[in-house]
Amino acid sequence: MKYMLMMNTMRAGAGVPAWPKADLQAHIAFMHSLNRDLRDSGELVQAEGLSFPNQARLVRAGKDGVPATDGIFPESKEFLAGFWIVDVDNPEQAYAIAARVSAAPGPGGAPLNMAIEVRPIMSAPPPEML
Amino acid sequence: MKYILLMSGTEAGVASYHTWAQSDRATHMQTLHGIEKELKETGEFVATQPLTGPKEAKVVRGEKNGLPVTDGVFPEAKEFLLGYWIVDVATHDRACAIAGKISAAPGPGGIPTNVPIEVRQFLVRDGAR
Repeated sequence: MKYMLMMNTMRAGAGVPAWPKADLQAHIAFMHSLNRDLRDSGELVQAEGLSFPNQARLVRAGKDGVPATDGIFPESKEFLAGFWIVDVDNPEQAYAIAARVSAAPGPGGAPLNMAIEVRPIMSAPPPEML
Repeated sequence: MKYILLMSGTEAGVASYHTWAQSDRATHMQTLHGIEKELKETGEFVATQPLTGPKEAKVVRGEKNGLPVTDGVFPEAKEFLLGYWIVDVATHDRACAIAGKISAAPGPGGIPTNVPIEVRQFLVRDGAR
């Protein structure tokens, strides 16, 4: 069963958080170590961080097929900061991995306790959608 | 450069999709499959996935002891990720052009859904992850 674990941020600005360098390094080292563990256990399908919201665009199809882009987002919008796709035997394993991500260290090494959204991935659209 | 194209929607939007005529849904899915096929031919395709609905979603936080605490209740109005496309393209404009094509996939009566697609570049990292 494949799951997508989504890490969202409310931060509408750009750039890395204004934490002491050592705290940022500890956070990144934690994420690398977690990804290595998941790769070693064969559970990791893909993990990516996304660029900051100031580089995001919202695209709609224009009438002539030319994309109409908009770079302005409401301050309160939640942004996807990064995601993991894992292949596990049951939902509990996906939740356990999400909890590890949630506990990634922040300033002073304290766990961030981030909310991680866990969603099963469809193998194909359900037949009733076709 | 890799980009993820995010298609989001609300529960009301998904409910509305289920009221479309079967032929409209088939045309819509055929268009999306056609875009996927084109991207495979140009070598720009990396991945695409639809996700299951909000009812099967959980929000997880780590407890102090490392155990997961799950919450399955989402506000009705929350926007959900419905699915995504990951593409590997030469320019930012090309990523937006693909998003425009997805946005133009036909809805009821063949009229483009005009659904907004969020275009986000992957963080570029050097060295091994």
